[in-house]
Amino acid sequence: MHSRWLYCSLALVWWVVSPAHGQNVKAQTPSRNGGDFSDNVQPGNKVPTGVILVKGAWASASDSVTPLPEGGNVTNSVFTNQYFGMSYALPANWAEKYKGPPPSDSGRYVLTQITPAATFKGPARGTILITAQDLFFTPLPASNAVELAGYSKDHLQADYKVEMPPTPTRIADRSFTFFAYWSPAAQLHWYVLTTDIRCHAVEIVLTSRDTKLLESLTLDLNKMKLPAEASATGGTGGDGVPVCIKNYARDENLLTRVDPIFTEHRFNPVPVRIIIDTEGKIKHIHFLSAFPDQEKIVTDALKQWRFKPYRQGGQAVEVETGLRFGSGGYRMPLAAATAPTD
Amino acid sequence: MKTAKRALGFTLAMLFLAGMALAQTDPGVQSGNRGTGAAFSSILSNSPSGILSFFTDGQKRFQDVESVSNSPSGNNGLGPRFNSNSCSSCHAQPAVGGTGAAMNPQFSFTSNGTAPKDTTPYFITATGPTLEARFPFFFNSNGTVNYNAPNGGVENLFTVSGRSDAGTCSLPQPSFNTAGNEGNIIFRIPTPVFGAGLIENLDDSTLLNNQLNNFNNNVGVGGAFNRNGNDGTITRFGWKAQNKSLHIFAGEAYNVEMGISNELFPQDRPLPGEDQLQTGLPSNCLNLSGTGYPEDTSNPASTPNSAVLDDVSAFANFMRFLAPPPTGGVVLNGQQVSSSTISAGSSLFSSIGCSVCHNPTPGTTQVSNFTSSLSKAPVNAFSDIEVHHMGTGLADNVSQGNAGGDQFRTAPLWGLGQRIFLLHDGRTTNLITAIDDHEGNGSEANTVESNFDNLTPTQQQEILDFLRSL
Repeated sequence: MHSRWLYCSLALVWWVVSPAHGQNVKAQTPSRNGGDFSDNVQPGNKVPTGVILVKGAWASASDSVTPLPEGGNVTNSVFTNQYFGMSYALPANWAEKYKGPPPSDSGRYVLTQITPAATFKGPARGTILITAQDLFFTPLPASNAVELAGYSKDHLQADYKVEMPPTPTRIADRSFTFFAYWSPAAQLHWYVLTTDIRCHAVEIVLTSRDTKLLESLTLDLNKMKLPAEASATGGTGGDGVPVCIKNYARDENLLTRVDPIFTEHRFNPVPVRIIIDTEGKIKHIHFLSAFPDQEKIVTDALKQWRFKPYRQGGQAVEVETGLRFGSGGYRMPLAAATAPTD
Repeated sequence: MKTAKRALGFTLAMLFLAGMALAQTDPGVQSGNRGTGAAFSSILSNSPSGILSFFTDGQKRFQDVESVSNSPSGNNGLGPRFNSNSCSSCHAQPAVGGTGAAMNPQFSFTSNGTAPKDTTPYFITATGPTLEARFPFFFNSNGTVNYNAPNGGVENLFTVSGRSDAGTCSLPQPSFNTAGNEGNIIFRIPTPVFGAGLIENLDDSTLLNNQLNNFNNNVGVGGAFNRNGNDGTITRFGWKAQNKSLHIFAGEAYNVEMGISNELFPQDRPLPGEDQLQTGLPSNCLNLSGTGYPEDTSNPASTPNSAVLDDVSAFANFMRFLAPPPTGGVVLNGQQVSSSTISAGSSLFSSIGCSVCHNPTPGTTQVSNFTSSLSKAPVNAFSDIEVHHMGTGLADNVSQGNAGGDQFRTAPLWGLGQRIFLLHDGRTTNLITAIDDHEGNGSEANTVESNFDNLTPTQQQEILDFLRSL
């Protein structure tokens, strides 16, 4: 009896002090909860569906008040976009079925895509796609909507035939460039209407096999509300918005510049759209595409930048311009984009 | 009255027949032998001299079945965790080097001695897709999903527990049932590797030129390249284009899918949680092969030349020297589809914008130092090798390199005609469903998908027929 007690005690002591044994027990019978293990089903804790929780480089802004190019939406069958000053009542029986992707790192936006609802009646369906191309960041040799339409026509792929070369027109009391092409194979027609609004070329792309539908949709666009045409004092964005100047962050305009130094994500382009106030400080930062670590580093650096206030007609005015940090973006064409959009 | 009834019946019958004629059908997996799985012509010609033996040796090793410790042929090192025990068990359809087969070998592992103590995960079925699983998020210590701790690593399905060649090693499987109940699990199917040597040999500048050429599209497509975190160059293999070379692709798969340490990934791999939460693998589950690490090394004393290579290099050579899958005829409902229909489908595919991403030829390869078939060769992959936002419908909340949870590499479509399971997780076998699933909130493909909807049923059928010819 005594010896059995002693044996058990020694065994217990050995079990407690043996690090190898303790390690094995711990490793071979891990907690059933934590890491890759769980036996705790919580109905309210399910990973939500239809939401992108783990994002790569994404769009964001320094404040939630200043309108953003991607900030439009369709409400009560009306598409509105405060940044572009656009308002478009959708044709009857058309709807936005899905939201577009986030802005690309080359400054392309899908503002909205409209398709016929289930109640649509007509010989053929169609699509209304409204996009914007930030002219600060386009890799194409185009500095405005007219040049962009010309580039499109000159670089049309072999599948398509030109129906109407880029031609000036007016839609909703505003200058547009109209360009049409079609695919003989698909019997699909594209009507592309492009205009300059606030540092961007805004494109409305109508597609269908039914040209009558396209004509009717084009006429319907006249109901759109758009900002006033560019003026001598209002740049391309109309009155009340900053002046757009490409490459404004040049040495001759900068008093203080602190370069951001990326430490974690380094090999992606980080296009940034900024608004400089009348005192030369950056009042708004819009990241078209950046990882969170890059947002913080760029924001910390840009807070220290100081520009010479930009003057127009003797008055200091706000400036909107683009900066590009990081690396690994589009290959730039040999013929660089020319004049700023001012 | 009787006449009116008869007329109504006739009308309904005609409407039914018209509906049948208009209904589009996925021609399905094409069964004919297209010659997929062969080496490039210059390899078959053994040019340069000796290279054919590297292909055949790699092809053999690709099919070897791995053991933990007592393989008479020396194929040891399996585990302690794994998804399968042979490259070709997953890369099988329609030939060695392909994607998942009709019968999933993983379904038999718990009953045939491969993983005797394990439970077959609920999502593994006899005729379903061959899968790997990932948990987008780690679990908290109380078992709830921790949204602040993204995981995304591979959760191996099986362990060596209870195998006679695995000693006392005993490991629990990850909590697949809870993960399934909590929606904290996603799946991936194997990517086929035919023609992979061509993709590997595309110069970055070629891919960048192709990107610029497709920039000016009117279908709302953007796109970006995934890039190596060390040198910033374009990466290209895997569902998120996260791997740069076939060597890395093979080394990682050998380590992650089979648990075999190698010259590129020299340690046995714990589960993501075991690694991140600092427990690691228990000591009695390490060095199970008894050889030390890495379990796969080069073999300096072996002959012939090809036998000197380590397995990973042999796998890489096999994949690199595999010719792209040839195109072939298509049979729909027992009838041969005409070549003019296939051609019309090809034109439509391009015209509606599919080819902006699924680019038929993103470029030609750089000069190859391996063999002439890899030099200045067109890469008819039907992919731009870019990653694109695919929206909430396809998003898996797993980040790899620069690719976020909703971004995927444009899947190369060559060989599509003989693939069974489609999309990254094999969720469907129906091509029409796969096309439909390209649209969703946040997807770059919405407008192209809408253009597809704008086509006539006949035109849509032509595209389906064309895709099954690839």
